[in-house]
Amino acid sequence: MEGLGFLFDLKSLGIEYGTLVMFAMLFGLLLVGIPLAYVTLLVALIFALGWFGPASVPLITSRVYSFVSSFVFVSVPMFVLMAALLDRSGIARDLFDAMKLIGGRLRGAVAVQTIFLAVVLAAMSGIIGGEIVLLGLLALPQMLRLGYDRNLAIGVICAGGSLGTMIPPSIVLIIYGLTANVSIGDLFTSAFIPGFMLASFYVVYVLVRCWLNPALAPLPEPDPRPLVERLTLLRGIILPIIVVIFVLGSIYGGIASVTEASAVGVAGVLLSTVVRGEFSLHMLKAAALQTLSTCGMIVWIGIGASALVGVFNLMGGIDFVAGLLTGVSENPTVIILVMMAILFVLGMFLDWVGIALLTMPIFVPVVINLGYDPVWFGVLFAMNMQISFLTPPFGPAAFYLKSVAPKEISLGMIFRALLPFICLQALAVGLLIAFPGITGR
Amino acid sequence: MRDDDLPDVEAVLEQEVAAPLPEAGMLGRLIDRGGIVFAIGIVLAMLILIQEVVLRYFFNAPTIWAHETTVFLAATAFLYGGLYCTVRNSHIRVVLLYDLVQGRARRVLDAVISLVCMIATGFFAWAAWLMVQRAIFRPDGSVRFETSGSAWDPAFPAFLKLFLLAVLALMALQFLILAFNFARAALARHSETT
Amino acid sequence: SAQEFSFKFQSSDPSGNPNFELQKGWTETLEERTDGKVKIELLPVGSVVEYNETQDAIAAGILDGHITDTSYFAGKDPAFGLIANPVGAWSDPQQMFDFMSEGGGKELMNEILEPYGLHFIGATTPGLEAFVSNVPLDSVDDLQGLKMRAPEGLVQQVFAAAGASPVNLPGSEVFTSLDKGVIDAADYSVFSTNQAQGLNEIAPHPVYPGFHSMPLVEVSMNKEKWDALPDDIKTAFEETVAEFAQHQVSTLAENDQKAVEEAKASGEITVHDWSPEERAKFRKIAIGEWEEVAAKSENAQRVYELLTSYLTSKGLVQ
Ligand code: NA
Ligand code: NA
Repeated sequence: MEGLGFLFDLKSLGIEYGTLVMFAMLFGLLLVGIPLAYVTLLVALIFALGWFGPASVPLITSRVYSFVSSFVFVSVPMFVLMAALLDRSGIARDLFDAMKLIGGRLRGAVAVQTIFLAVVLAAMSGIIGGEIVLLGLLALPQMLRLGYDRNLAIGVICAGGSLGTMIPPSIVLIIYGLTANVSIGDLFTSAFIPGFMLASFYVVYVLVRCWLNPALAPLPEPDPRPLVERLTLLRGIILPIIVVIFVLGSIYGGIASVTEASAVGVAGVLLSTVVRGEFSLHMLKAAALQTLSTCGMIVWIGIGASALVGVFNLMGGIDFVAGLLTGVSENPTVIILVMMAILFVLGMFLDWVGIALLTMPIFVPVVINLGYDPVWFGVLFAMNMQISFLTPPFGPAAFYLKSVAPKEISLGMIFRALLPFICLQALAVGLLIAFPGITGR
Repeated sequence: MRDDDLPDVEAVLEQEVAAPLPEAGMLGRLIDRGGIVFAIGIVLAMLILIQEVVLRYFFNAPTIWAHETTVFLAATAFLYGGLYCTVRNSHIRVVLLYDLVQGRARRVLDAVISLVCMIATGFFAWAAWLMVQRAIFRPDGSVRFETSGSAWDPAFPAFLKLFLLAVLALMALQFLILAFNFARAALARHSETT
Repeated sequence: SAQEFSFKFQSSDPSGNPNFELQKGWTETLEERTDGKVKIELLPVGSVVEYNETQDAIAAGILDGHITDTSYFAGKDPAFGLIANPVGAWSDPQQMFDFMSEGGGKELMNEILEPYGLHFIGATTPGLEAFVSNVPLDSVDDLQGLKMRAPEGLVQQVFAAAGASPVNLPGSEVFTSLDKGVIDAADYSVFSTNQAQGLNEIAPHPVYPGFHSMPLVEVSMNKEKWDALPDDIKTAFEETVAEFAQHQVSTLAENDQKAVEEAKASGEITVHDWSPEERAKFRKIAIGEWEEVAAKSENAQRVYELLTSYLTSKGLVQ
């Protein structure tokens, strides 16, 4: 009984040890094999009960309610539905066959084109969940079919799919803009080049790895068919390009809001399947059911994380983070680096919304006082969130991919495959600090 | 050696869409079947958004109901999706240690996990009931469903809170059934081997 | 100092917003005024629960209080929507403050709010909001068919009645939608905030001062906790909130003035100001909509009656 006694008075731990116990508990319960969504909810419940008592539990259900009823998440089922439809049609296969043809004799060409595809998708969406699911269903089986190294394929999909919050439109930057009261347009403009820089790091990495180790990306077998016949393969790329033009055109042409545009994408893919003669009600039903299931998985992970942040903030999480920063150093660079370290550690355990709620109130005024540009810091923040998507144990990008990857691909495999990409992101963060001019500010 | 119900699992995986856990029982099968309602809701949400874009852009006549309805449909799909994944055991978990545990011990572990999740979701269902009370009654006790407060003013907040309560209560019940069936399987195997 | 009361309040503003800074200033003033007996931890929007869930959280004792736009609770009772933003009623914050303190507004507010488990301490406001627009707007006629974003509630209804086509977009989509032209105009925030967040750059025809909206921001707390406070502390709360309201209004008006000058100096932004006749025309449409809201609940009817009789007694409406 003595061992469990602390459960009923967690408050006596104080916020420092409380935070440690919270992270340890998250880690422990995860390892036991409890589904992730319930791990975070469970830890939120234990801390709500142990810190404040039963009366505080409605805070968790309130956050669940608010989380699911937020408009921006409507684009998640749209992207997933798009993915499920593409997966059931021959569009994905034809697209990648065409990409293989375009890639020619360049080693790693299909991976590079997948990164390009990810950048195009990033320009269509403001959050990452749907995008990674889409790439996971579309590109992962195709890259594996074409003989690409599994780790390389996983890394390209998770890292590339996370670019959605770096390349405008981006909800991370919008929330930052609202919090820091700076121009969202300036944030979008400034994040553009750093986003491309990061994507180009991925490209260079893929090319160098494939050049050093040709086994990672086999070259296509010489195709005995005549050139004209092979060129007909290029048809496979036409419908996807039309869909992309539909979606991007509706956003940048002022026809649809970003969330609405994701529905335009679904309509485009549906029409494509009709054009290809592949449409059937059975296919639509199966795709919609898969969407329900995939959304259930990824949204409940977010639900748990959101609930946990609510409880942590009530415990005094914001003051705790402020405490970490006070009296650290007089040197502005050191302060920025400490902030980066805090963001990195929080990124391991929390999702970006939570991190933004927790750190922005403290970091932004400090950054401005030190004489830094808050827009530059916003871009730096978004770049840091790129890392948080990939780092274990709580790496949303890995979870999203896992939700649609073949069974034999484990979370451990995904996280291992992400390691080099995390290093590339850290490099990008370092460059943004060393050369703030990259943001054009 | 192979676990003897593994072929079943494989047969299930053969199908295009996986099926509910056998341990989820009758309730699991019902929840699984109900999924289609919310899957249709997602397709409907897509159609509504397209319709809104067309009405607004081409006819300059945006509706006052499209966005709220879409959010409501998505929200119910998200909530039900969590329940749906529970009966299909498709929620993501870290299986590093879990996979090391086999046979009877695995069944016991499954039972304990289900029991813990039942307690948690049971607590949440109770908390959701407190929330629902404020969403469907006025302070004087008369019935009034909380609305969104928009110009259209639908009672979606009250409906969604009620739906959340239902999902959490069903989840708790489902976990209870799972815990019971896992525990029974663990005990049954025990009596077979001894 | 002997700290006797420690409360957690949640704001409906994000931390970097000038409103939040001013609200923080209030918590400091209150602490000083009570010789450190009252310490309020002010949390930014969304940190514990979402902005539209704070009322329930305070009643449940999770939070102790909030500083928030009362119209977020119009879904609980339409009366909150009407008292919080009677579109067209006020052309100056002082009129609203006077209605709340002298015209029976505060008492009525507490009669409506207390059954929900909260006590209303006092009102503040960021002032008249500016209207963000991509196209020149100088009259009610210019609103015809205008695709514009309006938040929940009366504001949306009034614009619809005035002939505009309100689009129901969340705040997070306002920027991109305005930028790309999905919508032509938006009800967003006060001029200085709009200017800081770059909205006037992408939609260079702001209307200032706004004609459409001046939100009532309530400072309120859990009723049981309020009732348990000693009288001197209660007085300190009420006095400091009233001072804070004045300070907020004057500071933000100053910020707005500066931002307006900055906008005009840029040469790219045209600030529009409506004539009194056009404002009157819009107000008339708005008052027509009040009745619709009043019909929705008994409390809303009471708000409507108190408001109209007050405005008539002051000669603000005929
Ligand atoms: Na994006
Ligand atoms: Na992470």
